[in-house]
This record gives sequence, structure tokens and C-alpha cells, in this order.
Amino acid sequence: MLEFSLVMAFRRLIGIVPGIALSAALAACSVQTYANTFSVPIGTTAAPPSGQQAAVTSQAESAPVPLPFKGRLLDGNPRTLPPAVAASLSDSSDIVFNYREELTHDHYTVPLALSAFDPLTYVGYPLGNYSVTAFASLGISKGDKVLGDYTAKVHLTRDYTLYYQPTYIELEHAAKAAVRQKIDEQLYRDSGRLAQAAAEGGTH
Amino acid sequence: MRCAVIVLAAIATGCAVTGQPFQRQSAPPGEAEIYIYRPYNYAGSLLRPPVVCGDSVARLGPGGYQVFKVQPGTVTCHTETETADEVEFETRPGGVYYLKEDIGWGFSIGHPHLYPMDSDKAVAEIQTCCVLEPGSIVEHQG
Repeated sequence: MLEFSLVMAFRRLIGIVPGIALSAALAACSVQTYANTFSVPIGTTAAPPSGQQAAVTSQAESAPVPLPFKGRLLDGNPRTLPPAVAASLSDSSDIVFNYREELTHDHYTVPLALSAFDPLTYVGYPLGNYSVTAFASLGISKGDKVLGDYTAKVHLTRDYTLYYQPTYIELEHAAKAAVRQKIDEQLYRDSGRLAQAAAEGGTH
Repeated sequence: MRCAVIVLAAIATGCAVTGQPFQRQSAPPGEAEIYIYRPYNYAGSLLRPPVVCGDSVARLGPGGYQVFKVQPGTVTCHTETETADEVEFETRPGGVYYLKEDIGWGFSIGHPHLYPMDSDKAVAEIQTCCVLEPGSIVEHQG
């Protein structure tokens, strides 16, 4: 009798284990999705700043500090530049800034047939998301010498629900601001070498 | 039973737009083009929320597309029902830009979504999903 009970209990356990594993896998996926989406607030960088990097970040976030030299804009819109570059423009300089910014967009929508019958939809579970990737490159040159070359990329994602919908325009603006801030941070970190190179006539 | 099937089929296809298949138009000199398209989806197919781009407004049905001719510069496209969506283009003379409209679930009415699209995906999608919807675009009054 005891043997029979043990066999029954073992069989029941075998039946339950795949269910538990499946639930855990599903739960893990959903938690991971949320973590990926919300862990990095818009407009901030993913890596936690420390020491000198924190100082550079706060410098880039506060009022723009001009670079130790002036330059003229070869390509790019003067209204859409990283703040440090915008504060260092001069038409008469022989140093040239070449700035480019590209945005790509993506979106995901949960199939309507699924979301309509999913009870989680009605408690605010995401129905899809918007994402924007911003890429920026800045070249600084003097004559035929390259003083500096910087690139940055930012990817932002926002979920939308039955009760909340962000607009693409706010996501685009946040992505542009973040990528410009990243370029500024690189410039501030490199400003000593850049100033020296600009004074010398350019070595890279 | 047969009647019910016919009625259901008529409802399912009745909201789809009819018109000319996709054809790239040439932009007037010094202007840019924004193609907006809306793939067919039964959900929200009765809704035609106005999409305003620059000075023009279009109301697209499911399976339709339209072309906005806009001045170069910053152009904002906007649509709204219960919620709103808005996108921005930095247009250049002769530039061609693509926007996809979709109606998703809403609390009391479908939510419109505007997705800026890369040209490779957009052209492939318009060619298979959408036709030019005649008379769906007008100059925006204010």
C-alpha cells in the first residue's frame, strides 16, 4: 500500500514539474521584458557613473561649456548640435565640425486577436512598444588632419497600454538629447588632448 | 447559414479601400513627400481618424495610402482619437519619407498609432497592402 502511494506521488510530481517549469519560464520572460523596458530611464546612460565619469556626466547635463577652441560647421543643422559644439561655433575658425545624426524607428504590436482575449490587457499590460535608435557622429578636423572622431548610439523603448500611449515625437526628442549628451561627454573627457592638438595644428 | 456567411464576408471586406495600386510619384521641385499608408486590419476598420501633416489632412481607410507634399524643414504629423500620436520629420527638398498608420485597441475607441518607417520596409509593405485612396486628402483649414 505504501509502495503504491509512493508511486502515485512520484507520478503526480512528474506531471506537475513541467507545469511549474513552464510557468517559471513564462514569468521570467515577462519580468525580463519589463526590466529591459523600464530599467534605463529615458535621457540617462545605462552604465552607472563613477568618479571622473560622474563629473563629466554632470558637466554635460548642466549648462553647456564651450570647447577650448572654436570651429565652423561643415555639415549639420546648427540648431540640432550637441550643446558643447553649438557653444563653440565660429565662422572664421579653421577648425571644422562635421556632425551627423540618424534616427531609425521600430515598433512591436501584440497581435490584436491575442490582446483582445488576454485579461492582462485590461489591467494595463503592454499592447506593444515604440523604439527609436539614434546614432550620431562628430568629426573635428583642421586642414587635412583629423583632431577627433566621435560616435554615439542610443536606443530607447517605450511600451504603450490600453490606458497610456507615448508619442513617437517625445521618444525621438529624448533619443536625440541622449545621443548629443553622449557626444558632449566624450568631448569633455577628451578636451585636454583636443586643445593641445588644435594648438599644434592637429595630430591624432 | 449561407446568408450569414455572405453578410460576414461583406462586412469583413466592405471597409477596405479600393483604388490604384502603389506608384511612386515625383515630388514637385523644392518639396518633399511623405507617404502615409494603413494596412488592412479588421479592428478599427470603421475608424478614419484625421492625420494632419503640415497644411494637409488625410483620412485613410484600411488598405489605403496617400501622399503629402510638404515644404522642406521640420514637418509634424499628428493624429488623435481617444489618445494622440505625433511624429516629426526633418524633410529635405526631394526627400521621401514614410509613415504607417495603425489602429490598436482603445478604452472606448481605437487608438491611432503613427510609425515612421524605413523606406525599404515601407515600399515593400505599401506595394502589397495598399492602394491610392482617391479624395482622402484635403488642405487643412486652420
